Amino acid sequence: MTTHYLVLSALLFAIGGVGVLVRRNAIVVFMCVELMLNACNLAFVTFARQNGNLDGQVIAFFVMIVAAAEVVIGLAIIVTIFRTRRSASVDDASLLKY
Amino acid sequence: MNGTIQAPTIEYALLAPMLVVFGAAIVGVLVEAFAPRYLRSAIHVPLTLLSLAGAFALTIWQAAAKGIPTKAAAMGAVAVDGPALFIWGTILVLAFVSVLLIKGEDHFVAAASAVPGSAEEEQALHEGAAHSEIYPLVLFAVGGMLLFPAANDLLVAFVALEVMSLPLYLLCGLARRRRLLSQEAAVKYFLLGAFSSAFFLYGTALLYGYAGSIDLAKISTAVGSVGGQDTLLYIGAAMLGVGLLFKIGAAPFQAWKPDVYQGAPTPITALMASGTLVAAFGALVRVFWVGLGGLDWDWRPVLYGVAILTMVVGAVLAITQTDIKRMLAYSSIAHGGFLLVGVIATGKAAAQNASALSGILFYLVAYGFTTVGAFAVVTMVRDAGGEAWHLSRWAGLGKRSPLLAGIFAFFLLAFAGIPLTSGFFGKYAVFQAAVSGGALPLVIVGVVASAVAAFFYVRVIVLMFFSDPAADGPSIVLPSRGTAAVVGLAVLATVVLGVYPQPVLDLAHSAAQSLFVR
Amino acid sequence: MGESITFWVLAVVSVIAALGLVFSRRAVYSALMLGVVMLSLAVLYAVQDAPFLAAVQIIVYTGAVMMLFLFVLMLVGVDSSDSLVETIRGQRFWAIVAGLGFAALLGLGIGNTLIAAPKGLAVANQNGNVPSLAELIFTRHVFAFEVTSALLITAALGAMVLAHRERTEPKPTQRDLSRARFVEFGRHGKNPAPLPGPGTYARHNAIDMPALLPDGTVSPLSVNRVIARHEAEEGTLAPEVAQILQQEEEGK
Repeated sequence: MTTHYLVLSALLFAIGGVGVLVRRNAIVVFMCVELMLNACNLAFVTFARQNGNLDGQVIAFFVMIVAAAEVVIGLAIIVTIFRTRRSASVDDASLLKY
Repeated sequence: MNGTIQAPTIEYALLAPMLVVFGAAIVGVLVEAFAPRYLRSAIHVPLTLLSLAGAFALTIWQAAAKGIPTKAAAMGAVAVDGPALFIWGTILVLAFVSVLLIKGEDHFVAAASAVPGSAEEEQALHEGAAHSEIYPLVLFAVGGMLLFPAANDLLVAFVALEVMSLPLYLLCGLARRRRLLSQEAAVKYFLLGAFSSAFFLYGTALLYGYAGSIDLAKISTAVGSVGGQDTLLYIGAAMLGVGLLFKIGAAPFQAWKPDVYQGAPTPITALMASGTLVAAFGALVRVFWVGLGGLDWDWRPVLYGVAILTMVVGAVLAITQTDIKRMLAYSSIAHGGFLLVGVIATGKAAAQNASALSGILFYLVAYGFTTVGAFAVVTMVRDAGGEAWHLSRWAGLGKRSPLLAGIFAFFLLAFAGIPLTSGFFGKYAVFQAAVSGGALPLVIVGVVASAVAAFFYVRVIVLMFFSDPAADGPSIVLPSRGTAAVVGLAVLATVVLGVYPQPVLDLAHSAAQSLFVR
Repeated sequence: MGESITFWVLAVVSVIAALGLVFSRRAVYSALMLGVVMLSLAVLYAVQDAPFLAAVQIIVYTGAVMMLFLFVLMLVGVDSSDSLVETIRGQRFWAIVAGLGFAALLGLGIGNTLIAAPKGLAVANQNGNVPSLAELIFTRHVFAFEVTSALLITAALGAMVLAHRERTEPKPTQRDLSRARFVEFGRHGKNPAPLPGPGTYARHNAIDMPALLPDGTVSPLSVNRVIARHEAEEGTLAPEVAQILQQEEEGK
């Protein structure tokens, strides 16, 4: 059963990674990063049961705290740039090139 | 349910430098909440500088008077060992210098929430509003930088990585001029940083699954003993590596660096180029040497390739740059490559590892000071709209202000690694360790890359001294005392480390002698 | 057996939702899909002897994080649908190829690893899941726990810096506002009174219904010009309103 959970978590992680690469809307890109963090948490919880110690669950708990703080900062930055440009597309943010 | 928990032991004295920095940051937040606006800056600057100086003094006191501990502190979460203390000292001094630069001029936006170009922004500028929250944010970032290279398990490393990065994401977006660029840099840095920390985390998960623990020491013992799950180990190590290499800006994960360095306010760029790089290298070396030390036959070829790619990319792409800060960013990428040469120069013998480590430590000190100095000079060459960022504007600077141009040329020569500058001994120490570790081809690539980079630095020097200044060329602002002190200190460090490096080399060597605690 | 069924149902749901997150055009749908994934994962945590995490996942992720995402989406504009035009040629193709390759590498790598039967958490959880976690958090991982406070403070401070506007001048009082209205009236003849409501004789209070004056005529002040323009385009504008607007147009 462990393997099943791990493959599911790998799939979710990869889907999130593809999302980061293909989507343009900064908010959706960030949601895909959150999906990747969730996939990590699933792996941690699964390995905690596999290894028979609770460290994995503790880490998953910490990841949730960190993700919450990260979301606040990230969305604050995205809202700021949106107010300036009236757009959340990462393509419109293209002053920085080479 | 027995309901009793054995109270944890925390070595407060050992962790004091870090606790002082975090404590000062929290006091700073309280100042922000309760002090009247006109007093805030007057409280923040001394508070920040004193706390950094105090933390530095505590670090020295720990190393000199109390000896280097041989056991991890705080229930095995933080390893305060020789290299960690050396790195702490370096980061604290570099952060102190960067704070002097932050307070120097008006680099930061008056009101971050006002839309660029709006009447509101105009009004905020007119009233002389300022974000004094910058000081506590910098202190939080510095606290994270102190924790990151000392993290003894991967959970602390992850938390420290975020503590270090989150304030930097914010600070990136707060430049006073060219605000669109600055906000864009913040978004890019944030999204890519979050993406890379997801990789770091998945790597941690797989290593936890492999070893059953996140302690670096336990992972290290598991590498030799657990069988049948090597795939977890390899993929986990690779993904952990991606997360760490992203932070140091190694190719192919270097894309964020020029953008972010260009967009961020210059003092913050200086802090990132020096402090973050030092912290990330400390963590990289600890994770790869301590946690994955038994796997070195597998990661060494990969890092070998990454080092070559990083040096080449950094040196070659620097040539095509026209923005002074982007050029310095590519130079920072190339220096990351040179430092990676030191990371792979491990061997069976402890002496080999110690010499590689002391090379890396010395290089980090030398490069950190020079890069802060170079960015300090960048803040002083001004156009009407802020810093004169385009390289062509720097033409003929040597005729207009020979002293400043001379200092900048000196820094560039130190980047190139010309003898009698600190950069020379830094490169020498790292390359020597690599040669004795059997990585001669890598060293050859490194020397060639240095030569290519030197070509570009010399071109900038020629531009400054041998071309005619434009009629409406940039003006050199009279530096504030803080900025002048930064430039003076950086010149002094670059000269002293280049002429008489022995004391610092000895210090680095004795810090590296005990290697990492496990 | 029960666990297998739960797993297979939720695995299918969460993968479909994750794909929906990546490929749906509208950001709000993506957010809802992310919520579905998070809820499914919460159940999977509960199944795997992690009841505390299941609760925290629902409270923190679906409760706080998702709400924040939705808030910001509302702020930015719900209708903002993503352009699906590729700006870098072949980027999507290569991203998907890379993603598939990566998924295959991870999936096959992990799937082929010899993994022994799980040790289970019966021993670790014998004092209860929450007390056991608390013991770990407050002993072995106490330093990381303390340091996360720095993260939370940074987050609060950062949000303040970027979003909070400090009031630099005193807030106008009722008195100031009223004075300003009458000054405006004196100078430009702008009506200082509030706009009329639906009126005593009104039979509707919808926004597109004009208010009636006591003599039964339409009050021009109450006509919403934007809606009137739309209605005029559609041809559903009430004739008396059209007449009023016509008169006003001629009066100018």
